[in-house]
Amino acid sequence: MRYEYRSMWVGVAALAATVTSVTALADPDLEKRMSDPANWASQAGDYANHRYSDLAQINASNVKNLQVAWTMSTGVLRGHEGSPLVIGDTMYVHTPFPNNVFAVSLKDQTYKWKYEPKQDVSVVPVMCCDTVNRGLAYGDGKIFLQQADTTLVALDANTGKVVWSAKNGDSKLGETNTNAPHVFKDKVITGISGGEFGVRGRVIAYNIKDGKKVWTGYSTGPDNEMLMDPAKTMTWTNGKMAPVGKDSSIKTWKGDQWKLGGGTTWGWYSYDPKLNLVYYGSGNPGTWNPSQRPGDNKWSMTIWARDLDTGMTKWVYQMTPHDEWDFDGVNEVPLVDIDIKGKKVPALVHFDRNGIAYTMNRETGELLVAQKYDPKVNWTTGVDMKTGRPSVVKQFSTDAAGPDVNVKDICPAALGTKDQQPASFDRKSGLFMVPTNHVCMTYEPFQVEYTAGQPYVGATLTMFPAPGSHGGMGNFIAWDAGTGKIAWSKPEKFSVWSGALTTAGNIVFYGTLEGYVKAIDPKNGNELWKFKTPSGIIGNLFTYQYNGKQYVGVYSGIGGWAGIGMAAGLTESTAGLGAVGGYKDLAKYTTLGGSLFVFALPDSGASPTALNVN
Amino acid sequence: MNFWKLVIPCLLVTSAVLAEEAPTKVASASAKPYTVKEGNKVDNATLLGWRTWRALACERCHGAEQEGLVGPPLVESLKKLSKEEFHKTVMDGRPEKGMPPFSASKMVTDNWEGLYAYLKGRSDGQIKPGHVYAMDGAKK
Repeated sequence: MRYEYRSMWVGVAALAATVTSVTALADPDLEKRMSDPANWASQAGDYANHRYSDLAQINASNVKNLQVAWTMSTGVLRGHEGSPLVIGDTMYVHTPFPNNVFAVSLKDQTYKWKYEPKQDVSVVPVMCCDTVNRGLAYGDGKIFLQQADTTLVALDANTGKVVWSAKNGDSKLGETNTNAPHVFKDKVITGISGGEFGVRGRVIAYNIKDGKKVWTGYSTGPDNEMLMDPAKTMTWTNGKMAPVGKDSSIKTWKGDQWKLGGGTTWGWYSYDPKLNLVYYGSGNPGTWNPSQRPGDNKWSMTIWARDLDTGMTKWVYQMTPHDEWDFDGVNEVPLVDIDIKGKKVPALVHFDRNGIAYTMNRETGELLVAQKYDPKVNWTTGVDMKTGRPSVVKQFSTDAAGPDVNVKDICPAALGTKDQQPASFDRKSGLFMVPTNHVCMTYEPFQVEYTAGQPYVGATLTMFPAPGSHGGMGNFIAWDAGTGKIAWSKPEKFSVWSGALTTAGNIVFYGTLEGYVKAIDPKNGNELWKFKTPSGIIGNLFTYQYNGKQYVGVYSGIGGWAGIGMAAGLTESTAGLGAVGGYKDLAKYTTLGGSLFVFALPDSGASPTALNVN
Repeated sequence: MNFWKLVIPCLLVTSAVLAEEAPTKVASASAKPYTVKEGNKVDNATLLGWRTWRALACERCHGAEQEGLVGPPLVESLKKLSKEEFHKTVMDGRPEKGMPPFSASKMVTDNWEGLYAYLKGRSDGQIKPGHVYAMDGAKK
């Protein structure tokens, strides 16, 4: 496959030489599909990452009648993140490693085609936090699969045949992929995982037609490799936007440590067609031992705004300079226009692992709101709105404590107040519906040496439910991003590791690690319906309409960091920290699985109005 | 709970059969490869073995207390696995089961015997879970 790609690349390069300039062209196929709520054409349902559907046949009154319409085994165990896509009469289902893809006919649930890639199993041990895959992308009549072994494949959506493939990393160096690829206009964007292997993070854009690499933007290193203009790339500085200046990354690292700098890019990306900007966050800096890498370690832990056509960075904002807790900044960046102090602002909102929710002007990069979205967050007293930096509490600074000292009771834990599980934006109420963790940790850093392809971690952690709270390890919250306040909070026994979905039927859906799918009221969090699936849920809820009927679906298959890293991990001595409950209790509720559940109302329970388009 | 819990008993049975056929090997392995006081003060080689365990992030698969996670519980495996089998597994890995080869790591090639000693001590219940320290007089 690699050889074929190289031959093809030569041909494409020859063609490209005749083209003087390329501008982003809309992908009319994807944009048309996304505008019809009968489809679920992208992982978030839209470019803006709202995870909101206009479908309203299933509503707050009749959701209590929701029942299983059909199910399907994926044939794979381990963690099932992401969701299927639905395009017309076909559902595209994906699996964790080995990353099989099934095109399923919605008419009779038969397989139209299957794509089962052959991947080197040596990639499995290199994957952090389970062999998850966050799903497929669709555009230009193709299905895009980002395999674990860093191969990006374009499949003909009708036949499953490989149209093109590209290699975006090297698993021998600890580079892998768990992220979903994203289609924005005429490009496919992907990233890289391996923050625990000294990988240097980057985002790569490919031409949707032929897989030609258009640009690569690194998270660390020289300005030209990050696609930064020292005079034009802006960042929040002393209460206003100012240019980042020359060598803004390199001068924040000791020596050439930026080469192992992390800042990996395994989260969700969003896109504003009007501004032509792509938004995403970069992950933790290389090695979890902070005293080994002095400096701010830019631009790890950063929200990026890049031009889709060129990759040039318009602005950056680093949330956790010089990370001391593994608070990756990769979480999704939904784009919303909201009122802030009486003024409509083109904003982005980001619920960071570090426990702070940021609201920023997505056009300029100005910092507008930064507030804790879990009151238990204790490592910082808050963000200085002038400098944009968090004020670190010395007691919880693992750098101040130094190597081989175990720092206790840090909140949140490394998996953050929220990890990859994406939030949903309720367009009706203007509130965010946010699945969260409620977990704290001990953290002991230690010295490590880098060896290519070997783990480069350098800290030992234990995690437990937030002390002095409800005893559970999660909350599902509603968040006002204009004011930075929690509207309501619903306690959960375990972290809510499943992505939320809000619908025009006045319902929020999400899954739990015990395996429940829940429907709740977005006004107050009251439970309207729940159903127990065979395994824990870490996938994202999605909805579609077929033959006039609305369906809601989700993968059931526990795993991921919370599921596998913790389910068997906490022992009596850890539980002895005074914690009540804990992930170890998960074994009482669920076990590994791999299936898809699709729900619908019984035929008599459906309302005649299928759509409620605002 | 998971795939490994199915696979490991099979591996252990195989090891047990081998051990019965070679009783002298088992007897010779009975000499303890570690020295421990008060549960967490160990000889220098064992200390370096624990540091190797920590640096290579073995707990990600085998659990913070070697109790098993996606990888097998080493507190059990080390009761059966010979030193030679241990060496081969660590160096070559078991890629098809998710265990990477560690022969590229100098820390592992230098300290694998200490790592074996540490894990044997854990398996014997002589070394407590968690941090271990140098014994009095041992080189830090």
